[in-house]
Amino acid sequence: MDNKETKYFHALQIVEENCTGCTACVRVCPTEAIRVRDRKAHIDPNRCVDCGKCAEVCPFHAIIPRSDPLDLIHNFKYKVAIISTSYFGQFTEDVSYAVAKQALFELGFDDVQEEAMVTDFMIRMIRAYIRANRDKRPIISSNCPTVVRLIQLKFPSLLPNLFHLEAPMSILTRSLREQIMAEKGLSEDEIGIFLIVPCPAHVTAVHQPEGAYKHLQDGAFSIGMIYGKVREHIKNLQNNPPQIATYPKGLTWALSGVQADLVDCEDIRALSVNGVDNVMEILSRVEDHYLDQYDYIVMRSCTNGCVGGFFNVENPFVAMSRIKKMIKEGTDSEIDVEDLKKLYQQGEFDVAPLAPRPVLELDKDIKTAIVKMKRINEILTTLPGLNCSACGSPSCYALAEDIVQGKATIEDCVVLLQRHTREDGADETNLNG
Amino acid sequence: MQDFAAAKSEAADYWHFQPGREECSRRHLASLHEADVTLESLIPEKDFNTAGRGSAEVKNLLKRLGVDPEILRRVAVAAYEAEINVAAHSKGGIMTSSIYSDLIHIVFRDKGPGIADIAQAMVPGFSTADDMVRELGFGAGLGLPNIQKNVDALHIHSAAGASTLLEFLIHFDTNHGQ
Repeated sequence: MDNKETKYFHALQIVEENCTGCTACVRVCPTEAIRVRDRKAHIDPNRCVDCGKCAEVCPFHAIIPRSDPLDLIHNFKYKVAIISTSYFGQFTEDVSYAVAKQALFELGFDDVQEEAMVTDFMIRMIRAYIRANRDKRPIISSNCPTVVRLIQLKFPSLLPNLFHLEAPMSILTRSLREQIMAEKGLSEDEIGIFLIVPCPAHVTAVHQPEGAYKHLQDGAFSIGMIYGKVREHIKNLQNNPPQIATYPKGLTWALSGVQADLVDCEDIRALSVNGVDNVMEILSRVEDHYLDQYDYIVMRSCTNGCVGGFFNVENPFVAMSRIKKMIKEGTDSEIDVEDLKKLYQQGEFDVAPLAPRPVLELDKDIKTAIVKMKRINEILTTLPGLNCSACGSPSCYALAEDIVQGKATIEDCVVLLQRHTREDGADETNLNG
Repeated sequence: MQDFAAAKSEAADYWHFQPGREECSRRHLASLHEADVTLESLIPEKDFNTAGRGSAEVKNLLKRLGVDPEILRRVAVAAYEAEINVAAHSKGGIMTSSIYSDLIHIVFRDKGPGIADIAQAMVPGFSTADDMVRELGFGAGLGLPNIQKNVDALHIHSAAGASTLLEFLIHFDTNHGQ
């Protein structure tokens, strides 16, 4: 999964054999990262934020979001799975929380832990963080890797507003690793900690965490990839449900709206936003200080939050409804947060300040940038303005910019080419006639 | 610029400059050099669904030029407020943004009905917005004061029953002025 042209890792990869160059992906990419050149789609690794929109829309299975192969766990003596909360919304209602969890042990893990366990601790950390950082308004949740990368790319002035502490699956990883090392007498490298994730962005975040100071996870498995195997185990477990600890109240983490409601209190006003287009609109308004009345904004790139992730099997609304039912009907097992507290106080969950990924600027020098923009506008007046993407760029404007940046030529415009051919044809008839 | 010279006798002009910004702003307005990049955007009357598009477009453009984020925010806020003003209070108008390497100059021209008393309109909280506009959450009487706070130079030219011209300048350098 190496990318040679960039320092950025991405879970989304193009399978060239399958790509027909249809430009469906080009048109939906929120950062205009995709171009079709020579009838194949290419993703600009510097612009991709792993949102998965392109994979969702591709009719030819030519964009495959990868996660790690399950065999990876055999490289470790002690294997731990941490499950994303959205996992529990993927099954029919006769499958209990405990059965769905037990099925993961059957995949070969020595220990199965849940993101949901630390939701309550997270909410308290978030509130404390907001109260300690009143000068930055609003604080923006950093759990969604796509949102973090979108801010680095398109809204760098909001980087200081990001919640600068690790996400729940990462704080759990930190505390579990220490705990297992002490209890089992194992070295750091003998313990493999893996995430079971709802989206490609989380795979990317495991392989290239932004701002992480410490060794976190050793791999990420897609919910979709393990789903088939898990269902087999569930069938066998249904008659004999296991007695294991469950944390249904913490499942709120998968639903952006419910999470915002939990953080919201007397002195903290929270807003919830989901869907990548909504996220971008809200970020733009936050940038202009139009949403300063909020102390905290939960932002998730997918519909309804992590339940909308590409790797999920169930529809995000159905999954949300199932999870809400579990939250309402279940009771949590006891959880000891002393270790988490200690690590938190030692600053072990701190995140390094994130750096911008400036790609929008036409040039470092404003004078040169203006010259380029002028040129873009000139070219734009000659283009047909249909935004048909037949050239392989997402819009006429993007093509004009690609031409100015030396990445395309005016001949790439199919519509202009056809018009010219027709005119030439007409000329010839005139001459001959 | 010709807009500044075209003051009619009965119409009133309102000027405001941020401290230290008058000289460079007047120098720019007196010179007649053509803008490097211009953008035009129509603002239909009472159309709050599309009002704000022009300022969003300007903001995206300035981002591509690498303009400082704080200046970007001031441009976005002033342009948005002015755009909403035209949509809420006039019979529609047009927004023209001229971008130079050192500043942005945005002009809003509408089709009336004009501002009877500009000084009064500059008082925070004063508003002539009708019920429909207020119902939509606009018309708090903070538009013009908010524009003035964010720009380096502001000029309004209007009269009751006539069209209104509002224009402002924001310089891209951060080392003096606001």
